[in-house]
Amino acid sequence: MDNNASKTVRTYEASGEILTPLASLQLAYRELFWSRHVIWHLFVRDFVAGFRQKLLGYFWVVLTPLIGIASFVFMQSTGILNPGNMGIPYPVYVYIGTTIWGLLMSSMAVVSVGLINNADLVMRTNIPTISLAVTGLANIFYNLLVNLVVLLFLLLFFKLIPSPWVILYPLAVLPIIVLGMGIGLFLAVVGSVARDVTGIFTTVFTLAMYITPVVYTAEFEHPFLRSVVQWNPLTYLINTPREIIVSGDISAPFGYSLATMVAFILLFLGVHAFYLIKDKVAERL
Amino acid sequence: MNEKLWAIRAQGVSKKFGLTLRQSMKYGLRDIGGKLLGRQSHSGELREGEFWAVKDVGFELFSGEALGIMGVNGCGKTTLLRILNGVYAPDAGRVQMRGRVGALIAAGAGFAPMLSGRENVYVNGALLGLSTEEIDGLMDEIVAFAELGQFIDLPIKNYSSGMYVRLGFAVAALSSPDILLMDEVLAVGDLNFQKKCFDYILKLKRQGTAIILVSHSPGAIWAICDRGFFMDKGGVLVDGPVEDIIRAYDDQNSRNAVASSTQFEQAVAAHNDADSEDQIDPEYGHSKGGTGDVICTSVKLLRASMGEAIDEFSFKESFLIEADIDVKEPLEELLLRFTIDAVHYRFITVIDSYEQGLPLPRVKTGKYCIQVQVKTPNFRPGAYTLNLGISRRNIGVHLFYWFGASRFVVKHSQDEFLYADNNAVMHLDCEFNLSPVSSQSTKVSPFSVGDPY
Repeated sequence: MDNNASKTVRTYEASGEILTPLASLQLAYRELFWSRHVIWHLFVRDFVAGFRQKLLGYFWVVLTPLIGIASFVFMQSTGILNPGNMGIPYPVYVYIGTTIWGLLMSSMAVVSVGLINNADLVMRTNIPTISLAVTGLANIFYNLLVNLVVLLFLLLFFKLIPSPWVILYPLAVLPIIVLGMGIGLFLAVVGSVARDVTGIFTTVFTLAMYITPVVYTAEFEHPFLRSVVQWNPLTYLINTPREIIVSGDISAPFGYSLATMVAFILLFLGVHAFYLIKDKVAERL
Repeated sequence: MNEKLWAIRAQGVSKKFGLTLRQSMKYGLRDIGGKLLGRQSHSGELREGEFWAVKDVGFELFSGEALGIMGVNGCGKTTLLRILNGVYAPDAGRVQMRGRVGALIAAGAGFAPMLSGRENVYVNGALLGLSTEEIDGLMDEIVAFAELGQFIDLPIKNYSSGMYVRLGFAVAALSSPDILLMDEVLAVGDLNFQKKCFDYILKLKRQGTAIILVSHSPGAIWAICDRGFFMDKGGVLVDGPVEDIIRAYDDQNSRNAVASSTQFEQAVAAHNDADSEDQIDPEYGHSKGGTGDVICTSVKLLRASMGEAIDEFSFKESFLIEADIDVKEPLEELLLRFTIDAVHYRFITVIDSYEQGLPLPRVKTGKYCIQVQVKTPNFRPGAYTLNLGISRRNIGVHLFYWFGASRFVVKHSQDEFLYADNNAVMHLDCEFNLSPVSSQSTKVSPFSVGDPY
């Protein structure tokens, strides 16, 4: 054993004072950095365990989104769904849209159930809770890469050439993941105290897809709906990455920047809420 | 190690819980609301329906020291351990931990059944605060310690439970923590592996690891710890040498055994309330019954010296049994008999009026008081039940019987340390002697009871 005095001291105390938002952010950074090994190993564990002993193995990652768009493509081809004027083949449009929407929903879902799923680790180890809450995100980044590969094949199939800006796509979808993570962190702590909050919120949130250009262009006639779509930050967070892939032209750079800011502010609030509440979580898991 | 620096320092640590889930959720949501609005929390006070799971615990533990924590279920041991491990945030007070904390409660944490033992070591090791490189370096040692050999690459869902636990223990122990937190984990694996665990824990202790062991096993506490806590209702009731802790724990268990039997009996009595109170049944199968020729109305135990009714005696302390009987019919050749039950054994001894030199050839109707002086009882510390039977020499059945007429606890004494076996009930005064066998002598036992000379 080396010299005792040099060792780090961890302090757990009844927190009388309230953390400032900046302090929460700092703490989050420090704790995530400290537990980077854990996040990595848990990711590898979940990833490998998820695919072993499955008939189609890693192929699932590719198959799931393709099956997902099939129903929309079917509706569009029969004329039930009129997605509007997209400028690109509908399967490509809906594939990109649902993929990005999926990123939002799944980052929200994995972060919000992260604590409950890892309840055993929360109770038995001293890994910072925020790290356990966000371990699931690793999988999302992986899915993102696979989806991108599938997309390239899809584009090839329709004989479309992606814009060179496509390499920025992972960066362009970051804000929507950030948004999902922010909401997820808030749900994680509230949801572990009152279990049904997460479910209720996610269900209601699904409705937001209909005021967002995910499976159709959402160019409504109604002026009210029109302004809802216009003020909906998700509109930009989904349209912009799609434009980056297809044309490389961003139609609403200002809207996108504003929406990105909203996303980061929500993450910031989520982290802060998480740190304010997390002490109440362990005993209620 | 060279400097006397604390490894753990706890000051006024308290933690409260809500009694019901609903209440806990209500308070939880209210606390969350308050926190989000930036209100100060009053976590140091109890609200309705809350209780202290850990109350005002403070201590310092130095490197190389081992603290044993004992207490009956629900006394707050595990909660305290979780606070020390940073799982629960204390509601009052402060805990400081210096260095890496290896929690054996985390042994096997995060194991995924589909992964091989080796893959799981990485996950579990990371959860214990090891970096990937550190785990690389420890891997061979871990495999050897867990005695897994080539099975390390087998998915652990195919492991036997022993292999699983051995692997978990190996990772936790070999991470050479500065502080080791253990919650009843020593009873794993076969005897050789358990021996290895003890050896390893003691080796860590010599190397300067500070150890906290929570256990119900006096043997484990005595083997590893220097000092300890006896906890009750969240507080530290006894803080001292392990012997005192083990005595206090054992006494508490005895008291609880008495209390729970009494409660059970009362519940049964309340249930049977419908069938009259004073009337006794002329059949076996109840706690009290008989023919009605004679009944006993009360059985008391008294401290021999003071004459006060009491239900706790010190080890070897003499006591007095006092029973009031009401003889309804004149009786011949009356036999008064007490039997005593221990927790796990019935009728460990009998005290019979005839045997003890009180023949009762003819007893007239009327009320009597029986007194029995028990001179040098050698019951080991524990809980005991006194039963009463009244019969006649010429009649082979009971005129009256009463199971559980009285209950008492024999407490540990400060002079002797009777830790060896909780199930043992009688203590025999003996003299031990161990002498080497010399080459000439033929008839010397190395292990003899009594005076061999």
